Order: sequence, then C-alpha cells, then structure tokens
Amino acid sequence: MAAGKNQSSYKQRPPKILLAKPGIDGHDRGVLVLARAFRDAGMEVLYAGLLPTPEEVIDTAVNEDVDVIAMSLLNGAHLTVFKRVADLMKERGIDDIALVGGGTIPEEDKPALEAMGITGNYGPGTPLSIIIEHVQRRSAEARKKKMEQD
Amino acid sequence: MSTFKGDQRKQGRKRWSRIKTNVSELISGIRENKFASIARAISIIEDGNSVRRKDILRRIGKPEKRSHIVGITGPPGIGKSTLIGNLSSGMMDQGLRTSVLAIDASSPFTGGSLLGNRIRMQENLRDANIFMRSLANRGEKGGLSRSAIGAVRILEAAGNQEIIIETVGAGQADLDIMNLADTIVLVLAPGLGDEIQAIKAGIMEISDIYVINKMDREGAYFAMKDIEDIVSMDENSGWKRPVVGTTNQDLSSYKSLIDAICSHRKYLEGRNLLSVKRGLMEMETALEDEIDEKITRKLKEMLHNEERKENVNLATEDPYTAAERLLQNFIKIREQSTSSP
Repeated sequence: MAAGKNQSSYKQRPPKILLAKPGIDGHDRGVLVLARAFRDAGMEVLYAGLLPTPEEVIDTAVNEDVDVIAMSLLNGAHLTVFKRVADLMKERGIDDIALVGGGTIPEEDKPALEAMGITGNYGPGTPLSIIIEHVQRRSAEARKKKMEQD
Repeated sequence: MSTFKGDQRKQGRKRWSRIKTNVSELISGIRENKFASIARAISIIEDGNSVRRKDILRRIGKPEKRSHIVGITGPPGIGKSTLIGNLSSGMMDQGLRTSVLAIDASSPFTGGSLLGNRIRMQENLRDANIFMRSLANRGEKGGLSRSAIGAVRILEAAGNQEIIIETVGAGQADLDIMNLADTIVLVLAPGLGDEIQAIKAGIMEISDIYVINKMDREGAYFAMKDIEDIVSMDENSGWKRPVVGTTNQDLSSYKSLIDAICSHRKYLEGRNLLSVKRGLMEMETALEDEIDEKITRKLKEMLHNEERKENVNLATEDPYTAAERLLQNFIKIREQSTSSP
C-alpha cells in the first residue's frame, strides 16, 4: 500500500489483537517486540499492561471486541493461568475470540494447551514471521465466526 | 452516590454475557448498557459496511436525552490518557454515567496501530466499571476517526450522560473535534512555549477549558499565567474560559476540572447549544452514506457496464466530459422511473 494513503475507505477493518501477560510476570521485553511486529504487520494492537488478572484480560477483550488474545508467560504458570483464561471464556460463552499462547513453554505441555484451544505456544527464538502468520490465520477464523452469528 | 456504584457492580457480571451479532438483540443490549453489545455494535460501525452501519444507527433512533461530549485534545505525550482515567472515574463518583472513546494513530505504511491509551487508564476503568473503547484513526486527519461519530451515538443510546473522547495527539490545526464535542478541553504542559504561542490561531482558539497538566513540573505556574493572560483578553460576554492545573500526584486537582466541565455543560444547556454542531455533523455523515449507497455506487456500476459494452471509449473521451454525461444519464433514468406510474 502506498504510504500516507487514506485507509478509511478500506472495506474490512484490520485484525485486532490483545497482547497480555495474565499472571505474576514482569518481563515484557518480548511482548513489546511482538506488539511492534504485529503493528508493522498491519494489525491494531492492544497491550494489557503488566500484571493483569485473567478476568481483566477478558473484560478488555470484550470491551475492545478483539479477534485474538495473544498470551505470553515466562514464569512457568501457563498451565494454570492460560487455562483460567480459557475457562472464563467458556463460562461467559465467548467463542469468537481466538486464544494464542507463547513464552517458555516446554514441548510436553503443548498438547494440553492445544486441547484447551490455545494454539501456537511458540517459544524463544521463533521467527516473528511464523508467529504473525499464525495470529493472522487465527484472527481470520475468529472474524468469520463473528460474522456467522448474524 | 455509593448506591449508584453498588448497582453498577451488581449489574457488572450480567453485562459480560455472550456477544450477539443479531441486530435486534444488539439494540436491546445497547439500551441495557451491556458492554458486550456496545462493543460489538461499535465494531460493526467500524467495519465500513454502510448498509449494516445504517441498519444499527437507524434502529437506535433519536435519544431521549442528549449526552454531553467532552473532547480531550493536546499534543502527544502530554498526559491526556492518564488525565481521562482520573476524570472519568471522578465523574462516575459524582453519579454521572461516563464512557470513554480514545483514538490513536494508524500507521501510514502498514495500516497497523498500537492502541496504547487504555494502559494509562486501566485501573480507573476497572474500579469504576467504565466502558472504554480504543479506535484507530485509519489515516483520517484532524485527530478523529470516522467511526467516532457513530460510536458516540451508540454510547448515547446506552444512557451515558458524559462521553469523553480522546483525540489522537494533536497539532495546531487538528480541529475536527470541534464539530463533535460540546466541550473542548485542551491539555498542555509546562515548557511548550511562551505567550506568543498562546495567542496563535487554531487549536488554542477552539478550546473551552485549558488544562496545564504535570503541575508538579518546573515552570508550571508560568505556563498557567501565559494562558490566563490570553483568556483575560477574551470578550466579556459569554463563556469565560477557565485555566485548570492538574497533576497525577494530587488526585484532588481533578476536582476543579470536573467542576469546569460541568459548568460548561450548564452554560450550553442554558443556551440550548448542547450537541447542535454534532447534530449537524451526524446529518452530514448520514447524507454522505446515503449518497454513497444510492448514487455513487450506482454511477460506478454504470461506468463499468458502459466500459464492458464499449459504448464509451475511455481512451479518447475526456474524463470530465464522460463523468458529466454519466451523471446526466443517471438523473434522466431516475426522472423517468419516478414519473412513470
């Protein structure tokens, strides 16, 4: 797209992503790199800030009507905290927001996360292009679901 | 006032029920101030499908009571978002139902955006249970987003008394907010310029209330004095523009800002000026949508049909002559169809 072009005439709005570290984890260098990368990939990016609770993350996601919640944890609590987010979404009947995970996640934990509907689960060293592609795909799925409810 | 907040919290859980895209359910959800319905409706407004947008905005109808729109504008990084956090929760404490719309810039290169306003006001929003939505400006100039007009109508239908809009970090000539907001608050900070800056045209003129933020910084009282000097040159009739100092270090400093906003609301209500300009702008946007749907799209269809049938030689005909002929044809067809029984 040409630089400076007015984008207001675009038919579809860009994917909207919420980045969150829903636990006791203060290391946000990685998540800020991702925020910048998603922005540069043409997405509208929100960051939930440090130390939000799972409830706050979902409240923000609903208020902003995001397509994907991208969660990151480096403290090893992913099986507890990511699960809490997934459970809360189920409780509230939200099925049109995709959950994507990442952080220091051991290989053996990944199937359990996948079973909760949390995909990706990329570790350190993953190329940004792979993460972006995955988030875009999940976002398109979520957007389709939103439209289907019509 | 505590009962008001208590009621809000009790309803809080109910509001997060499943999001519905069904329009009638959305409308009733909006009327009940369900955050999920409001959020989804704003998404549809943002989507750019003018038929669905029209559907929602028509069915919302005319509000019983107009909301008071407070536009917060000022340069980037001046503390608008933090100020709005304290302002909105302060208004809720006074029993005024408040919502927030915050607009951030889109990238001119990729169309992406980092919506970083929420992070500054998160705690206030959570504690006071305030609906807040971030919008990207999608390349729109003037500090506003095109969807903001529709989003304001949705928040109005949800029964908000006060709607706070944060503009994109604004320069001297980002003035679109003046058509949407009833009360314009310009946020400044110490060290931005002298009294010559203060009498410049543009954004300095359109503001109803001046705020010097970061009052804990050096030079804050000089900055206040510079602005007070230009305000003292105002004509004596009408609204006397107040200059308020705020700082996040002293939360009671926001009290005088809330008072100033409330008295400007009373001033406007007394003169029947509340949302007059906004009403006009809403009409204009509706008209643009209508023209787009009924005329522009049909004309473009005609053009493509002609090109296909090779009635028109696009290579030789001057574009303006062709456009004139097409429009005349269009009007003729319309007249025929309306005159025939």
